[in-house]
Amino acid sequence: MNCNKEAVELMHCYLDGDITKEQEQALSAHLENCEACQKHFHDLKRTITLLQSTEQIKAPANFTANVMNNLPTERKRFKYRR
Amino acid sequence: MDEMIKDRIKQVKKGDQSAFEDVVSFFQNRIYQHCFRMLGNAHEAEDIAQEAFIRAYVNIHSFDDQRKFSTWLYRIATNLTIDRIRKRKPDHYLDAEVKGTEGLNMYSQIADKGRLPEEEVEGIELKRYIHYEISQLPPKYRSIIMLRYIEEFSLQEISEILDIPLGTVKTRIHRGRETLRKKLRHV
Repeated sequence: MNCNKEAVELMHCYLDGDITKEQEQALSAHLENCEACQKHFHDLKRTITLLQSTEQIKAPANFTANVMNNLPTERKRFKYRR
Repeated sequence: MDEMIKDRIKQVKKGDQSAFEDVVSFFQNRIYQHCFRMLGNAHEAEDIAQEAFIRAYVNIHSFDDQRKFSTWLYRIATNLTIDRIRKRKPDHYLDAEVKGTEGLNMYSQIADKGRLPEEEVEGIELKRYIHYEISQLPPKYRSIIMLRYIEEFSLQEISEILDIPLGTVKTRIHRGRETLRKKLRHV
């Protein structure tokens, strides 16, 4: 299996849950014998874990109140619809 | 939660403006975060996130109840952030180099708040670094990576939010992951 093209492509398919049984078997067979691809796959999975670990950013206080205060009035909204 | 949102949208469509408050309150953090990560600064993020909710309200009658409200709302928000990025003057980029410095940008100018235990600093440094690397991706990759891994939408939903074919979503998510892998493999 060609590492750069096929194997990496299959890794991405795997990460997207978009892989057939046969492809998955081919990928794991390749990974058993190819250290470079093992590392590549590990790094990809770790990248995803890192992305998922970033802090959640919260909206500023009063955000909802500010939106509600800036909505067009009911009558104005009627104009928008016409 | 989906039922609550559906119910509130119905009321808003009937003309009950106050029902919209629960919708905003429910989505405010997610939409604000999305805008913040797309735009890189709090001021624009607040401005655009607010605009997204106002547009959603004004156009609520064009929302099809059979679809997921969150994908519709994210679509409005993402389009607004992309418009804003396009309209920006080049010298206003947060990641632009600060004049007279080498390699320093606005991110490195943001001061740390107070003193913290070392471990916490490392955690924060890492999170800031990841945030920085996401912000360095071109917008078309950035939006997809965020929608997938921070907002946890499916590839199909992302294709609907961004109005691009599923195949394009896949190609871009592959490239985005590869770019970030190269940046983050040493941390």
